[in-house]
Amino acid sequence: MIKPGWIADNLGVIAGALVDHLVLTVLAVWCGLAISLTAALLIRRLGFLRGPLTATFGILYTIPSLALFAFLVPFTGLTLVTAEIGLIGYTLLILTRNILAGLDGIPAEIRESADGMGYSGRQRFLRVDLPLALPVIFTGLRIATVTTVGLVMVTAVIGEGGLGQLMLRGFNRQFPTMIYVGFVLIIVVALVLDVLLQLVQRLLTPWAREAR
Amino acid sequence: MPSTDASRQAATVELEHVTKVYPRTETGTPGAVNDLSLIVPAGRICVLVGPSGCGKTTSLKMVNRLIEPTSGRILIDGVDAATREVTELRRGIGYVIQSTGLFPHQTIGENVAVVPRLLGWDATRQRERTDELLQLIGLDPTRYRDRYPSQLSGGERQRVGVARALAADPPVMLMDEPFGAVDPIVRDRLQNEFLRLQEGLAKTILFVTHDIDEAIKMGDLVAVMQTGGKLAQFGPPADILADPASDFVARFVGADRGLKRLSLVRVGDLPANPAVTARPGDDVADARRRLTGSPSPYLLIVDENDRPLGWIAEDHLPATGSLQGDMASPMSPLLEPRTTLKDALSMLLDAGVQEGILVDGDGRVSGLIGLDAILAELSSPATADRARGSADRGVSS
Repeated sequence: MIKPGWIADNLGVIAGALVDHLVLTVLAVWCGLAISLTAALLIRRLGFLRGPLTATFGILYTIPSLALFAFLVPFTGLTLVTAEIGLIGYTLLILTRNILAGLDGIPAEIRESADGMGYSGRQRFLRVDLPLALPVIFTGLRIATVTTVGLVMVTAVIGEGGLGQLMLRGFNRQFPTMIYVGFVLIIVVALVLDVLLQLVQRLLTPWAREAR
Repeated sequence: MPSTDASRQAATVELEHVTKVYPRTETGTPGAVNDLSLIVPAGRICVLVGPSGCGKTTSLKMVNRLIEPTSGRILIDGVDAATREVTELRRGIGYVIQSTGLFPHQTIGENVAVVPRLLGWDATRQRERTDELLQLIGLDPTRYRDRYPSQLSGGERQRVGVARALAADPPVMLMDEPFGAVDPIVRDRLQNEFLRLQEGLAKTILFVTHDIDEAIKMGDLVAVMQTGGKLAQFGPPADILADPASDFVARFVGADRGLKRLSLVRVGDLPANPAVTARPGDDVADARRRLTGSPSPYLLIVDENDRPLGWIAEDHLPATGSLQGDMASPMSPLLEPRTTLKDALSMLLDAGVQEGILVDGDGRVSGLIGLDAILAELSSPATADRARGSADRGVSS
């Protein structure tokens, strides 16, 4: 059923799909993170935005992915932009929620002692609030990344898709080898990115490791 | 001692008709402060004490402007705190809170160096200062510098909290129940350590507690506050114990005012009885001879530095030969000149012994303090005067 010969002959194609998949994923999560950080900061400064923004991200999250891409195509065409708008949109709820949870979870007395010792607002955010929120932010980042790896596959319907493209072509040609290669690699990509993020988290939060 | 520049050591803190009003709620207005005026002379500890919601913490936080007063002024060395840039003001005021507020993501060294870093000290100077302070609070820098707060005991964390507040050698320190989160034994030790530190540092300290015993022990001056943020009485602890200004103050300091006064007199104020001592290796017959002139049948064995090892009863002395260190049986409590009579009394009662061993700062035996001498102080009318005298010395000097 699986033809090793095809795999050997098409390593270039497979590698290209793999790289596409990674680029689509990383781009979406990075942009999502930037937008979510901005949103979280806005919410912390202007409290009334919390409801509207999280509701918007929540609604975005509930739209079925195929429907969203279909909706976007008339505006942005069968392009990378269409794919990324959808992919980024799906990361926002998870990331924003976790950033807010991380920042909200910092004990009041830590904030107060930082203020009392003379940190300015910006210094406190960068040197105290953000580092302390990192473990929760990373939890969100890992969920968002793994989810995005899966969603990238769906963007095959608009001509992107990375490894999803490989699988779609396999379906069309009734060629199971392509499907399985795509399937296995997607799982590998999800696992590897998750492990990498865990490693980065451990490097950035040594205190959490030493605790207890 | 860390302080080098005497002019920076302390500043006078003056609260002038300070009021903080909060919007009225169903439960009243806890934390409000009503027309509070007091002066803390440079280098003194002023304890704000009162029931919860009396505004003592609010008063403290108005000094470093974590809370802005509704009206009134706070002057630090004559300068209105409200006119200073807020981060600069705070960097010049040490701040210690009950839960220590240590940053869990920074090492002990980084925590202690927070304010020096904010002030832009270079790395070498930060490092030297950190090590110096860790040494000062009795934590070995090489062992503790790179640990995280979660790896320390509660008492060690509290000490680090104090070291961090001292880091930039601020003239003023604010301490909000700094020893509240540890068990009573550790708290007692931390209090004593801190008082010993303060002898050398002579910072101006505002100290908040709800515990009247802590207030009496720590304060050169005590401000008793009552619900509604009113100052009920302000003065040296001996005056407050001897002469409560109102029923509220009398109730708050408690019915055992006489006993509490014991905490204002120090062991060093009492005459010590001489101790009969001998060293391991001394001849037994010689030691026995020394005991004959003494009222007590016990011999205190000390090491070559005169530090006590333990007691041996005359009956248990071998007939001949020389004394051995392991002949000594359990020790009596060690009292220092600055141990309060109250602490000394409880140490003796806990140990179930009649006498405590008075040692100097190096741990050398300098005499014996008997339970009877302490009890005599309790009934003596001179205690109040003596306590007041030492408090007055404290304030005026």
